[in-house]
Amino acid sequence: MHHGKRTPDRDKARRTIALVGNPNVGKSVVFGALTGRYATVSNYPGTTVEVSRGSLRAGGDTLGVIDTPGVNSLVPMSEDERVTRDILLNDDIFCAVQVMDAKNLRRSLLITLQLIEMGLPLTLALNMYDEAGERGIKIDAAWLSDAIGVECVPTIATQGWNLDKLKDSLIRPRISQYQIRYHAAIEDGIGEIIKLLPQARIFARSLAVMALCGDTTIRAWFSSRLDAAALKKTGEIILSVQSKFGEPLGYLINKWRLKAVDALLQKSVSKEGNSKGRAASFIGSVTMHPVWGWPILLAVLYLMYEFVGVLGAGVSVDILQNIVFGKYLNPWATRVVELIFPSGLIHDLIVGQYGIVTMALTYAIAIILPVVGFFFIFFSFLEDSGYLPRLAVMVDRIFKLMGLNGKAVLPMVLGLGCDTMATMTTRILETKKERMIVTLLLALGVPCSAQLGVILGMLGSLSLSATVVWATVVVAVMFIVGFLASKVVQGEASDFILEIPPIRMPQLSNIVLKTLVRVQWYLKEAVPLFILGTLTLFALDKTHALYYLEAVTAPLIKGFLGLPIEATQAFIVGFLRRDYGAAGLLALQQQGKLDHAQTVVSLVTITLFVPCVANLFMMIKERGLKSALWMTAFIFPFAVFVGGVVNFILRALNLTL
Amino acid sequence: MTHDRAVEEVLEFIWSERERGSNSIKGLFGIKEVADEKADIKTLERMEKDGLVTLNGDTVVLLPEGELAAESVIRRHRLAERLLTEVLAMDPDSVEESACGFEHTLSPEVTESICTLLGHPPTCPHGLPIPKGACCKKEKDDLRPIVQPINELGIGESCRIIFIVSNSHMRMDRLATLGIVPGSVVRVHQKRPAFVIQIGETTLALDPEIIKEIYVKRVGGSSGL
Repeated sequence: MHHGKRTPDRDKARRTIALVGNPNVGKSVVFGALTGRYATVSNYPGTTVEVSRGSLRAGGDTLGVIDTPGVNSLVPMSEDERVTRDILLNDDIFCAVQVMDAKNLRRSLLITLQLIEMGLPLTLALNMYDEAGERGIKIDAAWLSDAIGVECVPTIATQGWNLDKLKDSLIRPRISQYQIRYHAAIEDGIGEIIKLLPQARIFARSLAVMALCGDTTIRAWFSSRLDAAALKKTGEIILSVQSKFGEPLGYLINKWRLKAVDALLQKSVSKEGNSKGRAASFIGSVTMHPVWGWPILLAVLYLMYEFVGVLGAGVSVDILQNIVFGKYLNPWATRVVELIFPSGLIHDLIVGQYGIVTMALTYAIAIILPVVGFFFIFFSFLEDSGYLPRLAVMVDRIFKLMGLNGKAVLPMVLGLGCDTMATMTTRILETKKERMIVTLLLALGVPCSAQLGVILGMLGSLSLSATVVWATVVVAVMFIVGFLASKVVQGEASDFILEIPPIRMPQLSNIVLKTLVRVQWYLKEAVPLFILGTLTLFALDKTHALYYLEAVTAPLIKGFLGLPIEATQAFIVGFLRRDYGAAGLLALQQQGKLDHAQTVVSLVTITLFVPCVANLFMMIKERGLKSALWMTAFIFPFAVFVGGVVNFILRALNLTL
Repeated sequence: MTHDRAVEEVLEFIWSERERGSNSIKGLFGIKEVADEKADIKTLERMEKDGLVTLNGDTVVLLPEGELAAESVIRRHRLAERLLTEVLAMDPDSVEESACGFEHTLSPEVTESICTLLGHPPTCPHGLPIPKGACCKKEKDDLRPIVQPINELGIGESCRIIFIVSNSHMRMDRLATLGIVPGSVVRVHQKRPAFVIQIGETTLALDPEIIKEIYVKRVGGSSGL
């Protein structure tokens, strides 16, 4: 169903279907089913932080489809919620499809009322209908549909159940006539504000309610459309309405909505029996248990080490590097190239010491790719099971010391997959201060899967104590920097309010699909940089600049860090991608040029480098040029400094690792 | 046993002056609220005649009957202050005047209800002790106030939210979008390492800061939708 290319752009702009709903209700699954495009699907709130666009062919028409980040209210509290609200506010919506969690209709309907208030054509998908059934929840969809005047289609998106029916009804969306009336004083305020408003895409009533709710993000919309007098008047109306109540208006309005929702639920939903003794809910509880949660966390880490470190970085890399590349591909490539260019610059460029095939591709495909692949399989499993939000519960207190809360663990753990993706995911955090600190910690200390795999592979060949030293240093450095950053960075921390999804058995198809998408993304992202890094080394080598560079940095590399001079090359490419730098260190270790202590020192240093050029660009995009440059200027010297300190301590104590 | 407004006001200040270590009549008449009620030495003499106080030079001392009456008015005043600051989230510095109005109109039944609603608070918002009433003594027997912060509940217990006391509008708004409003039924799932509650089929982890602000009443059975 890839019709995207045939769709003229103006058509797309004219008729758009927006998928909206609470976080973690399956919007991205529905998106995938409707458009045939894959949007990342996981089992935790906040997976989608950027909109995905696709298209859908229905009834001879092509409609654009937008997958939006989840929201709990259309009065946004975080950046990702704002994205969704802005789409509803500014785009020409042919139909809003609200994907609802059928077992949590109370919260879903709260959004439905707001969508109705906006006057958008609407269709409801009562998704996860099976989970509601398992819990004894019965929903009278027909009654609900009549009561609010829009289609309600029960669906199970992950199984594709009833999605054809959803598709049928979303091309004939209805505008609901259902309306709730708030307290008379609030209604008066709404009436007065409406008089001041110009024509808009959505109902003026909803804009007035948003203003009364104290929505600060809508101010720009108002100030660009109203003159100064009208703006002042709006502010006065809001203040005068607020002065009549002891509680904030936004809260009161939500309370009225909930009352209306409860009245609807009373007639449409019934619950029989209690879901009890289910294995999933036991796992769900025990994984965030104050005592058992910790051994489980250690077990998860150990499994990751075995799966990614040993099976991925050890066995698979060995097969690919030594047999596939070492015995077949590289000698074969060398022979082919030698036939055409027996020697000289081009020969060296392709298959020489710093050759594109012998170095860049060997590293990218033989060393990094299996590690990344294995990691993403494991990580997808964790994501889809619902374990990650439980981890957030476990570490909330620790994160509090860094001016963050447990929610920050989501981007941090995602950083173990890819720091660039994770930097984008900081949008789920509510305050600027938190986003700043997490971006810094990601750039400083969270090794991405590619690098982690190489590191685990190298440390695995040493000893457990080497791994422990490395991990302790990195974690301690992150903690100290986080703690200090929380004192330096201005702003405030936010409340820890996190929804914990049920534990679910991951779907194999989603894991495979997600891993493939991510691996593909990795290859597109990393291979060009690997080649660029190799070309840099090649150029430096051919011009003998490498020799001088090594000589210049020798006091630092040899003296301060106590490493062999060849490590300079690894650090140079480490500026481009630190996993590439780590791969260079791995090669050194395999050649027997690094002893145990040197391995640990070099790994600590490269771990603390900025992850890659792409990550730097993402930092600039998300945090602004100035902040990104400050962070970078701090990180590189600091990484070398910590490496030097570790070197000094290890030598002084004469530890055998 | 009811007294007029001026007498109640004088009794209240004899009590609170005594807490500060003073029993001077001159000091008493120097207080604004007492002056506002046009209370003078004649009022005190009338009270002496009614057996509420004894006067001796510049000193005034409460007699047992006056003691009881003063305790009652102090209790009403301080409970009213607590009600205004906790339930209506008013600033402790600005509740004084409203509380003064309340103390003269609250019936004993209403006073007990307020005391129970607030979980028999030991002190007023300014930190001064609230004299115990009959309901507080009863409370010692079953030891459970009707309304209390949700963190006082045990794991697995269900409760109905009675009120949420927060100075942060944003926090109240966010809680409301998740269905955490007065009237909702929630269950305590766990208290450590972070507080986790269940509301309907939603499981939520919440900051200890927020948890302290949610006041609830126990209910039997499991949570509703």
